[in-house]
Amino acid sequence: MPDNADILRLENLQVSFPMQSGVFDSILGRPKGVVRAVDGINLNVNRGEIVALVGESGSGKTTVGRVITKLVQPTGGRLLFDGEDMTTTHGFSTLRPYRHRVQMIFQDAYQALNPRHTVFDAVAEPLRSLRLVENRAQLTERVSEALSTAGLNPPQEFFARFPHELSGGQRQRVVVAGALVVKPDFIVADEPVSMLDVSIRAQILQALIDLRDKYRLALLFITHDLPLAWLIADRIAVMYLGRVVEIGSADDITLYPRHPYTVALRNSTPQVRRDAGSGGIQALQGEVPSAARVPKGCRFHPRCPLAFDRCRQEEPSAIEVGPQHLSACWLAK
Amino acid sequence: MSEGTVQSLSRIRARAIKGFLRQLLGHGGAQLGLVCLVFFVAVAAMPNILVGPLQTAITATGDFLAPPSGQHLLGTDDVGRDVLNLVAHGARISLTIALLATVISLIVGTIVGITAGYFGGWVDVWLMRLTDFFFVVPSFVLALVITPVVLEVMGRGGEILGFRPSLFVIIVVIGLTSWAFIARVIRSQTLSLKERTFVDRARIAGSSDTSIMVRHILPNLVPQIAANGALVVANAIYIETSLSFLGLGDPLQPSWGTLLSLAQRAGAASVGAWWYLGAPGICVLMVSLAFVLIGNALDDTFNPRRRVIP
Ligand SMILES: Nc1ncnc2c1ncn2[C@@H]1O[C@H](COP(=O)(O)OP(=O)(O)OP(=O)(O)O)[C@@H](O)[C@H]1O
Ligand SMILES: [Mg+2]
Repeated sequence: MPDNADILRLENLQVSFPMQSGVFDSILGRPKGVVRAVDGINLNVNRGEIVALVGESGSGKTTVGRVITKLVQPTGGRLLFDGEDMTTTHGFSTLRPYRHRVQMIFQDAYQALNPRHTVFDAVAEPLRSLRLVENRAQLTERVSEALSTAGLNPPQEFFARFPHELSGGQRQRVVVAGALVVKPDFIVADEPVSMLDVSIRAQILQALIDLRDKYRLALLFITHDLPLAWLIADRIAVMYLGRVVEIGSADDITLYPRHPYTVALRNSTPQVRRDAGSGGIQALQGEVPSAARVPKGCRFHPRCPLAFDRCRQEEPSAIEVGPQHLSACWLAK
Repeated sequence: MSEGTVQSLSRIRARAIKGFLRQLLGHGGAQLGLVCLVFFVAVAAMPNILVGPLQTAITATGDFLAPPSGQHLLGTDDVGRDVLNLVAHGARISLTIALLATVISLIVGTIVGITAGYFGGWVDVWLMRLTDFFFVVPSFVLALVITPVVLEVMGRGGEILGFRPSLFVIIVVIGLTSWAFIARVIRSQTLSLKERTFVDRARIAGSSDTSIMVRHILPNLVPQIAANGALVVANAIYIETSLSFLGLGDPLQPSWGTLLSLAQRAGAASVGAWWYLGAPGICVLMVSLAFVLIGNALDDTFNPRRRVIP
């Protein structure tokens, strides 16, 4: 298999959630609405690659991560992992081999750890459930190894601790260790550092990058922070209201964005230079519309300062604007 | 795990238990409840040592319906038995029935509640219908239905697990009518627990539904089970008393309810034999009050949300 063969591929992936309908809707026989959280996205991640998924709150980033980790069943499209179609696979025993290869790091480590389980039990859980070790000695060894890789040294000191006896950074390291311990090929990291302070943030990001370099681990790094994405990722996919509106190398997306949404997103973050190619686009105005009422035409047009007639009628599809750089905008040509 | 880890783990547990007990015992209601409970449990544990074997009409020593005196501290009943003797032996029967019934209802209620809450959908709908049925069915009616069945199957004379058939029926009936309350509490807690991120993490770790329910959700339900369990005991004592009062008890293994029923039939109220009605009545009140106090204290202690529970 060629080295840059993708390990994960999403093809026109869709997820919609049924909306809670009110009493009146039922009486009047109105059809039940749906929330189109993910509305047809295409994305691939190569071995050893870090792809960042960036977008505002409510754009469907977490939902994509939950589909990949098989917590949510997609309502359309395909999920391919290492060439295998995993779209409809379900049931915990059928999924065991997949769970062995795909793990997740959560945003809120306090929520992600069971308050009644010790650090040892939390990290050992996947090894036990997936039956990856034969005896106690192996179990202890793998847990220690994962804890020290995640930066908890000496690991033995943390075995018997409960989550409330750890600092926020240590808790997040336990969550990272719990994902690493099975030696996965792919990790979905959902805003893994957004709740940590700056110094710990850098250490955890460095640990993830080291893992990629050492084990050719692939990462889908979910964040709403464009500069952070630029820092860690090889490629960035910008998501808006359930769609990827622009995707390209981290430099292209950050320095030479082509989609007005990406430009606006960049201009909303103070750290980045504002001069290059802003084309009169200011920071983002207003709020993301509800995923239950996706605007007709281009979904960004109500907030787009450059919108013209066509944008209100037809939805643009992603077109190539450079090598490995796609943008879904009528102005992108 | 290394030797040292195991040790520090048990040390942490011990520290948590100690902290928890200190907080619980700092609660005025819990102190009162526990003192009361310890007293009755001691009486129930060794009635033979404290007041001698259970008296019958043949071994009775006193006059008929004699008021309290130095010889009979709580007076005598209509066949001359010592009321203190009867009440002490009744403690054993009443407490055992209440505790066994509570164990049944906690086990059934927890299993039904977790299953309904965790799986949701039609499992939830049907289990909750069943729960609602048992929630409203009067225990007396259930007892009337079950008694002949048990008597038919077990025979009138035998003993089941040391209980005469009618007491066994009472245990089963109380168990069957009080689990529904537990199931509802546990279900609603499970509904919120299963949305927690650690359940998602467990699923990604490859844990099965059973293992998530047993290893992740159940330990987080301990506070609810303990606090409501104490309330169920209190309620069980009341139900036991009323069923026995209605004549479903067994005169050979008299509980407090049976004593109340006997006193009533002997016309204790009309002849002014207040001790005969009062002694078992006050015992019922005190024990159920003790459990209510302990239940409330447990609830208070567990409630500050991030408290560690051993
Ligand atoms: N289980 C669900 N049921 C119904 N709607 C849902 C569910 N999960 C997500 N949604 C909806 O789907 C949309 C996308 O949510 P998602 O959590 O994926 O966004 P996000 O990009 O991760 O946002 P954030 O940055 O705030 O985490 C939102 O409108 C949300 O309300
Ligand atoms: Mg999210």
